[in-house]
Amino acid sequence: MKVGVTAIRTIALSTFGSFLRNKVILLFCSLFVCIVLLMISPLLTFKSMTNAANAHQMQGFILNEVAELMAMVSGFGSLLAAWAAADSVAAEMKSGTILAVMARPLRRWEFLAGKYLGVLLLMAVYVVAMLGLTFLLAWLGGQSYHTSLWTLLVYPLVRYSIWAAISMLLVTVLHPILVMGIIVIFMTLSEVFASTSSHIPPWLRTPVHVILPLTNLVSEERFLVITKASLKPFPWTNHLTALAYGLDYALACFLLAVFVFQRRSLARD
Amino acid sequence: MATPAIEFYGVNKIFQRRFGGVQITALSNISFEVARGEVCAFLGPNGAGKTTSMNILMGFIYASSGRSRVFGYQPGDVRAKERIGFLPENFAFYRYLNAEKLLQFHLRLSGRQMPDPAALIADLLVKVKLDTYKGLKIGKYSRGMVQRLGIAQALLGDPELLVLDEPTSGLDPAGRKEVRDLILALKAEGKTIFLSSHILSEVEQICDRVIIIDRGHMVRTGTMREMLAEDNRVEIIVDQLPEELEQTIKELGASVEREPHRVRIAVEIAHKRALAEMLWAGGCDVISLTPMKSSLEDTFLKLVAEGGAP
Repeated sequence: MKVGVTAIRTIALSTFGSFLRNKVILLFCSLFVCIVLLMISPLLTFKSMTNAANAHQMQGFILNEVAELMAMVSGFGSLLAAWAAADSVAAEMKSGTILAVMARPLRRWEFLAGKYLGVLLLMAVYVVAMLGLTFLLAWLGGQSYHTSLWTLLVYPLVRYSIWAAISMLLVTVLHPILVMGIIVIFMTLSEVFASTSSHIPPWLRTPVHVILPLTNLVSEERFLVITKASLKPFPWTNHLTALAYGLDYALACFLLAVFVFQRRSLARD
Repeated sequence: MATPAIEFYGVNKIFQRRFGGVQITALSNISFEVARGEVCAFLGPNGAGKTTSMNILMGFIYASSGRSRVFGYQPGDVRAKERIGFLPENFAFYRYLNAEKLLQFHLRLSGRQMPDPAALIADLLVKVKLDTYKGLKIGKYSRGMVQRLGIAQALLGDPELLVLDEPTSGLDPAGRKEVRDLILALKAEGKTIFLSSHILSEVEQICDRVIIIDRGHMVRTGTMREMLAEDNRVEIIVDQLPEELEQTIKELGASVEREPHRVRIAVEIAHKRALAEMLWAGGCDVISLTPMKSSLEDTFLKLVAEGGAP
């Protein structure tokens, strides 16, 4: 079977280009930038108020602020990935542009793969931009990162690829707004489960482990302590298995999305 | 014998609402073939199932049952799609692109290696008279310009089969004539064209064969000649017609239509001689006597009104 690599690349680049003109995404990003700027403001205040007498206390405030900002960056990235994936497919279906595209010698899975890669391209840009922000925050916090750069790039990207794949799966059958609702519920449950996992009976823990995306496993926070901004000893096999879990989950969701998309009507009935 | 370009055998399509279980039969036992090199019109009133059939043909939706093939392949198969140019009913586009960029995008998707893609796109834009607007964003195009662009993208890659859903929709009379001429030129090149249209006078001029469906059922299929050779009447035009003579000729089954300066009389061919002699004898001046040829529109309206569909 000849795979339309050119077609997938064309769809991916076109999808990425459409994101840069997507009003909802631009609005989200503008809001996000505003919130980040607002949060940096008290950070700079603490920094300027720091003197020899209160250095330790102020350092605590600053690092706390930095940790909150980084959590927000991560949460926003997940939402952005989910929305971009849902909108990229739903908008084509709603506007009918999908008909002229799918009339070309293009398989349905290739279309979906192109869309997914377009989302990952957007998220790669986001991750790089946020990496810059992370370093800025660490510098403001009076710390410097002693970690490999790749972990700060790959871990968030794998995490976002999971949310994008879940969203793509859901949007093949549901309205994008409903999809976002489910994604937010999933994110919340995932967080709750991560902190209460030990209290959950084993018979419930296993199915939850399978269904819920355990994104805390593919979080750089596992080995990166913000108050020290340095890398905890973390064997490469742990990196490998954690990333493999994330990619496996994303792939499973993507393949399910392809399965459902293959069977659905592309035209508005 | 070459495989037909399009084959539909006993195709049914039932739409089922997700909740409530309501079933809507969009197509019921639709069967037809379109031979290679043929220009075939797919006609029917609104809601007849034309677009549903075309969507099945393109692989956008699946038939509930029956067999459909395009060049011998399943609809949606890339080997079939490589040979098709498609114009959807309402051609939708990426509004932020211009015509040139959109055609480049579609050309890349088609996977065809062209020696000079820029020249090919420029030629196509000239063909559909959009060359002067190639830099303008499509979002600013008029309905007619969008339709022309849709036709240009359907022609990309020199397809063997063109599936055109309402190709002249939104075009002014001059634009319609240009599309008509374009279709005739493509027909001369030996392309297979399968189109739907509500403008039956145009269909009459360009198509070899007609398929009529109504409410999801096949009503009639045949060559254009067969469709137009239905009427076995003659029309006699006279300068005037006395009242008493009108009563007499009506007994022959003739119909009379009075106009300000003449009278049109339609009668079955079998009675033409008797009627003509009667009119001469009655002092009427027979201006003309011509065999009546029903237009495609007459045939279509008659077939649909007869309730070809159960």
